[in-house]
Amino acid sequence: MAQVGYLPKEKEKAFFETLSKNALVYVPCLEGDTVIFRPFSPERTLCFERSANIPPKTIIFPQSETLFSFDYKKNADDPQKTAIKLETNQEYPDVIIFGARPCDAKGFKIFDRVFMDTDTPDTYYKDRREKTVIVTISCESPSAGCFCTAVGGGPADKEGSDAIITELEKGYFIEPVTEKGKAIIKEPFIEDGSPYQKEAVERQKAANDMLKNPFSTDLTKISPSLFNSDEFWEQVVSKCISCGACTYLCPTCYCFNITDEQAVNKGERIRSWDACMFFHYTLEASGHNPRPTKFQRFKNRVGHKFVYYPEKYNGVIACCGCGRCIRYCPVSVDISEIVGYLRGSGIEPLKGPSKDGANAG
Amino acid sequence: MPVKNPYLPELVTIQKIIDETPNIKSYQVVFNDLEKMKNFSFQPGQVGQLSVFGVGESTFVINSSPTRMDYLQFSVMKAGEVTAAIHDLYVGDQIGLRAPLGNWFPYEVMKDKKILFIGGGIGLAPLRTLILFMLDNRANYKNITIIYGARTPPDLCYKDDLKEWESRSDVELVLTVDNEYPGWEKRIGFVPTVLNEVAPSPDDTVAITCGPPIMIKFVLQNLAKLKFRDEDVITTLERRMKCGIGLCGRCNIGSKYVCKDGPVFSLAQLKELPEE
Amino acid sequence: MSLEKLKETVAKVFHEVDVVIGYKQGFDPLHATPCFITMPEQVDQLIWNPLCVQNLTSYLPFLKKKVGIVVKGCDSRTIIQYMQEGLIKRDNIVIVGLPCTGIISVKKVLHEIDNQPVESITFRDGSNVVVKTVKGQKILSLSDVCPDKCSTCQYPTPLIYDHLIGEPIKSDKPPESVYEDIREFEKKPLKERLEYWEKEFDRCIRCYACRNACPMCICQDSCIAETRDPHWMSQKLSITEKFMFHMIHAVHLAGRCVECGECERVCPMGIPVNKLKKKINLEMKELFGYEPGVNLEDKPPMYTFNVEERKIEEHKL
Repeated sequence: MAQVGYLPKEKEKAFFETLSKNALVYVPCLEGDTVIFRPFSPERTLCFERSANIPPKTIIFPQSETLFSFDYKKNADDPQKTAIKLETNQEYPDVIIFGARPCDAKGFKIFDRVFMDTDTPDTYYKDRREKTVIVTISCESPSAGCFCTAVGGGPADKEGSDAIITELEKGYFIEPVTEKGKAIIKEPFIEDGSPYQKEAVERQKAANDMLKNPFSTDLTKISPSLFNSDEFWEQVVSKCISCGACTYLCPTCYCFNITDEQAVNKGERIRSWDACMFFHYTLEASGHNPRPTKFQRFKNRVGHKFVYYPEKYNGVIACCGCGRCIRYCPVSVDISEIVGYLRGSGIEPLKGPSKDGANAG
Repeated sequence: MPVKNPYLPELVTIQKIIDETPNIKSYQVVFNDLEKMKNFSFQPGQVGQLSVFGVGESTFVINSSPTRMDYLQFSVMKAGEVTAAIHDLYVGDQIGLRAPLGNWFPYEVMKDKKILFIGGGIGLAPLRTLILFMLDNRANYKNITIIYGARTPPDLCYKDDLKEWESRSDVELVLTVDNEYPGWEKRIGFVPTVLNEVAPSPDDTVAITCGPPIMIKFVLQNLAKLKFRDEDVITTLERRMKCGIGLCGRCNIGSKYVCKDGPVFSLAQLKELPEE
Repeated sequence: MSLEKLKETVAKVFHEVDVVIGYKQGFDPLHATPCFITMPEQVDQLIWNPLCVQNLTSYLPFLKKKVGIVVKGCDSRTIIQYMQEGLIKRDNIVIVGLPCTGIISVKKVLHEIDNQPVESITFRDGSNVVVKTVKGQKILSLSDVCPDKCSTCQYPTPLIYDHLIGEPIKSDKPPESVYEDIREFEKKPLKERLEYWEKEFDRCIRCYACRNACPMCICQDSCIAETRDPHWMSQKLSITEKFMFHMIHAVHLAGRCVECGECERVCPMGIPVNKLKKKINLEMKELFGYEPGVNLEDKPPMYTFNVEERKIEEHKL
């Protein structure tokens, strides 16, 4: 039995249609100029050319989901008394995410440590995660702002993927990484991939070589004096407008909110995405807010990704270098530049980098 | 065995409501499921999330003692949406409870030591659970001193407990209010100032403090001046919480979550965290 | 050269204020980014070209210092609107005006070059954009890759300034062209319009980039989209909630939106939210004869109350 697979491009649609019979298959689709993961259907336009605007984290960690619903039932014999009934619904379908990027897949690993490797695992995330197969496509070239190699990733990195595809001229080379991935290459329309292995490896290497490392050194730890300096943060974060675009589009951000919604006697408790960049994130009922300024919130965000998470989890950085926060930031705040300063890149934040910009792809 | 859903609360019924002060009420609850009530256990200092369905959840310390398990008691100060909704409840109403959460007071290392409690306002709530616990295991601890103050005499919490503790010979209780008040014959002064007046010795003593942030700030300063070691000073922190299990990310101070790694922290631990 | 003159002027203005906000080169050749100048050495980082897309005035109401600011024509309208609403003090700002012949829309340029990373970009003769990527060089016409607001720009020269860099430019675009796209869209049947918006808002992730980038939206930290008291909107991600947020936002901007286009530029999901606000502006223009951010003496119609409105026939409502 072949260890690796190959899907010819002309069989692509048929392949997805077959897969869709037994599972919900998510693929990146083009809507206008936006690439977004949607369930496969033949009318949609597939787009594997670049990473999706919003990562597939929304499939396993939906932007809003009902944790449970509650129902107040009045006692017919004694109207003073009400009973409360709580109901959950945790039936999830089998899902295949096809066409995530290695950075997106790495994001799922970041989630897994927090949501599953704990004595109080999140059952909603866990159930969905266990029913999902993640097939990533390796990147041919970086997009503007990408820096995955600087945080331990790469354009063909396998971490978090069940299988990884490399696009070749006439088809896709498929390498399984886990047992779930091995099942994919047994599907119809997949041929033996061994004749294409060499070409795939060459393409992956070429992509890797295109990435520049924005950190002049990744061995130095973050400078505590700079990290704790209010002036430093005021200088680099002045332009931030405190929206939530960076956190919502980040494959590794997982902060959420829990709110109750009620209509008369029934209602639900909803879990929805939240962002540490919002003012109300840590706002207490008394009116006190431990992080009232955007500088403190941004410092917490960078700290969480590059200091606190690695402290808890053996040095793993909670950033996959996908560059979305840089590309979609309304004012182009560049987290890789800021971390570069903190890591002692030798550039003084006040004077700024050289005029032609630091990371041209 | 299926994994327990950590977000689903248990249903509890309110058995008794006590008006402690004009804006603080205490609620004694029992689990609807009596088996659950029998088998429930917690450590002094741990918290629970009370749910008013349709409004939301909030975190409160379980301020009854694990040695007295007829009910669980929570004290609620009216401040925001959820606490206001709780204040509108009656005996017999049902709410949700997720407990026990968080860490607890390290009472094991406090054995055979002198204990100094310093509380302000509703800050007495987390201290109460430990005080009752220690009083029920009195032989394990040496002198117990409680310094407690509030803005005015009506703002003092647990007035019945205070009376009982005052009458006990194995507890030293120092009460104070911020300013003069008609009918108040006892001490007058802010808690940190009274702490300086009492000037307890740091030898072989563990200090535990809880109260409004500004009070804690000065109490910690004064304890340092009195030469208390950082490892011997313990406090509880508060932050906006949602999940209560260290997942949603918002209650973090540095890499520690107040809901999971706290709310009990020693001063030594706090000094390692970023300033917030 | 206007860039040299800009740097000279800013270097002078710098001594009168606590900070000067301008543009500098961003993370790649295609992006500029705001630059907060607090030291004289930083003045040299300034740039001025069609990459300078952000509306820098949105920082003004939140800065409690004396600020020098670099504005294009469209940005200056925001300053006038702020002054009409009493949100900033004229004495606290020093305005450096830049007459502008158009900027690029990053999204449109990326579309033309198949989203390839840009190696270099140069602007020729004020109307051509030369973009170099790995796949080669492409010459684009600025009028093809500028945002819609530039194709109908009525105010290329700032309407208010303390210093003007260069000669004033007059608009060569007919005034009727501003709302042409809205009038075209309104010709479509209601059902088609609803389906259009449902499809667009399906992508909305309520990141609030549009809200925070909007210069006129100043209650961001206590926005009704997130408050619980009163509880207007749920956090549930349904099309109803998304419509609620966007409609309320557009209505809150009635008579205030200066059509700077930031909302649409910053949307990471490519939703044309600017259209909603333009529609309401068109109504405001026809009902009250008011255009936001143009005349300092004007009173925003939603700030005033007339017992009898000239163009509203109340008896017929």
